[in-house]
Amino acid sequence: MAREKIYQEEEFPSPFLQLWQIFRQTPVAMVGLGCSIFLIVLAVFSPILTPHSAIESNLDMLLLPPSWDPSGNITFLLGTDDLGRDMLSRLMSGASLTFGLSFVVVVISLVIGVLIGSLSALTSGIKASFLNHFLDVVLSIPSLLLAIIIVAILGPGLSNTLWAIVMVLIPQFVHITRNAVKEEFVKDYVLASRLDGASSLRILRYSVFPNIVEKIISQATLAQSAAILDIAALGFLGLGAPIPLPEWGAMLKSGIDLFYIAPWAVYLPGLAILFSVVATNLVGEGIRHSLKLHKES
Amino acid sequence: MLIFTLRRLNLFFFTMLLLTLLSFSLSFLFPGNALLNVSGQINASPEQILLLSESYKTESSIFAQYISYLKHILSGDLGISMSSQTPISVEIADLLPATIELSMVALLLAMAIGIPLGFIAAIKHNKPADNIILSIAMIGYSIPVFWLGLLAILIFSITLPWLPSAGQISLLFEIKHVTGIQLIDILLSDNAYKWQAFQNASAHIILPACVIAVAPGTIFIRLARSSMLEVLETSYIRAASAKGLTFNQIIFHHAIRNSLVKIIRHVGLQFANLITLAMITEVIFSWPGIGRWLIDSIYQRDYTAIQSGLLVLSCFIFIIHILTDFVYAALNPMARDNKHA
Repeated sequence: MAREKIYQEEEFPSPFLQLWQIFRQTPVAMVGLGCSIFLIVLAVFSPILTPHSAIESNLDMLLLPPSWDPSGNITFLLGTDDLGRDMLSRLMSGASLTFGLSFVVVVISLVIGVLIGSLSALTSGIKASFLNHFLDVVLSIPSLLLAIIIVAILGPGLSNTLWAIVMVLIPQFVHITRNAVKEEFVKDYVLASRLDGASSLRILRYSVFPNIVEKIISQATLAQSAAILDIAALGFLGLGAPIPLPEWGAMLKSGIDLFYIAPWAVYLPGLAILFSVVATNLVGEGIRHSLKLHKES
Repeated sequence: MLIFTLRRLNLFFFTMLLLTLLSFSLSFLFPGNALLNVSGQINASPEQILLLSESYKTESSIFAQYISYLKHILSGDLGISMSSQTPISVEIADLLPATIELSMVALLLAMAIGIPLGFIAAIKHNKPADNIILSIAMIGYSIPVFWLGLLAILIFSITLPWLPSAGQISLLFEIKHVTGIQLIDILLSDNAYKWQAFQNASAHIILPACVIAVAPGTIFIRLARSSMLEVLETSYIRAASAKGLTFNQIIFHHAIRNSLVKIIRHVGLQFANLITLAMITEVIFSWPGIGRWLIDSIYQRDYTAIQSGLLVLSCFIFIIHILTDFVYAALNPMARDNKHA
């Protein structure tokens, strides 16, 4: 006798998955996500993909305009700079420096900031009040100014810039995690697991984190766009990546002197920065939009 | 209101304490001798150094050192610049007004353009106008300010020679330094060419101020849009439309006022962002302000200048912050009994 197969499995997608299902339905956010993935692929595989070397100069091909210009050359699709370095290859390797490193910076500061923030949410009294005031002070100093001060202490250079931006971003993550965790901790489901005898750390790990992860990711996209702009700005001011490295901000700076003869050396890195920041912001907007819809539903 | 003021003063005091502590510890964190970093006297003779170390109490405990550092700051002595050997307080008094002028003009521009656009977007919610304004806001928010500055120079000073690309005023005009804010100084002066000078100075300020205003302006668009949407949802607006007021009456008499109050609260926060943008823009447009001076002093390893520049700039930002809080509390009675600072 054939037994009827009845599956009565109910699926409860996690908050994160629910968010993804809403996120998928906003086309603009998906375009942003696609662009971000494209940039990540570029950042990881740029050493294999670049048609020319990003650092070696080619003295026969100085200041070649982009290939759509009558005097351009198709082997150098986006032209060359004043040392004959291929712009396309430099922009592609720049993706791993400006975009890739900003990603790394955000991940590091996210981990540290979330750890400090969630631990501080569990404390109260004078320690918490001190931390709150301290955060207010640090957050009131402009991020770039703070980064500049830290670079002044550590000395210019790309790695020092990165540490400076990590330190600038940490307070923002501490602040948002702290508030989010405190908000969740007064809710009933936390009380339920507390009555089951769960320790604070266990509640944090299994009950609170799955519910605040989207807020942290939305903050991470804000931090990422700030990090890209800060890395590029410090590179532009000559405090970040040294000149030969194809960092987008530093490329812009070296292009200024040739602004009138070779405007593409200034347009293209700026467009690349704009593109990556817009892609990041679109993803962030999409997340915040779906968070709002999710809350309303 | 009294409790509110006391709370703010308490916050102000605490913040100043932390900021001075931070800048005090910087002299130890920077490379080199802490005493030379804090005073900037790099060419001092051994006798002078002895005198200095007595006045900064370097032999005593760290707490006594901090107290003597505070005394120096409160008496207006921020040390002397390592590179130019002039007192830093004099240099800052010269440069800070130029930055204040530039950032205030930019802030006004950002508010004057951003807030009405945000209101329009909210009124036309989910219509093409809303989407267009939001897309512009997204691009303006993402554009790197140094690139925008260069493009603005290329377009408006080189291709179309409309506006000057560098400096605060043409060197032909001689303006006496009274308040330091150039546009006010010109109006105060009794120069025969006052109006030409005023025109020239305004032509110089337009381009950098517009470049700075783009990013905060787009943030004001978003703030204005969301606060207007919030206000339009409230029951008093529904009550007003139930009474039979026309849409325009509701918008101009009720909605705009109430949503403006919410935006004012964020002006202080936006100001910090604006100062950062102003620092970079000053470098590009050779504006003689404190941002350019601070970045120059990093190139020159002028630690005394960096230390004092940080202190002065962040104090300035914080004072603006507190002032907007007061304006907000004066306009909105509900904010006054807010327990959390």
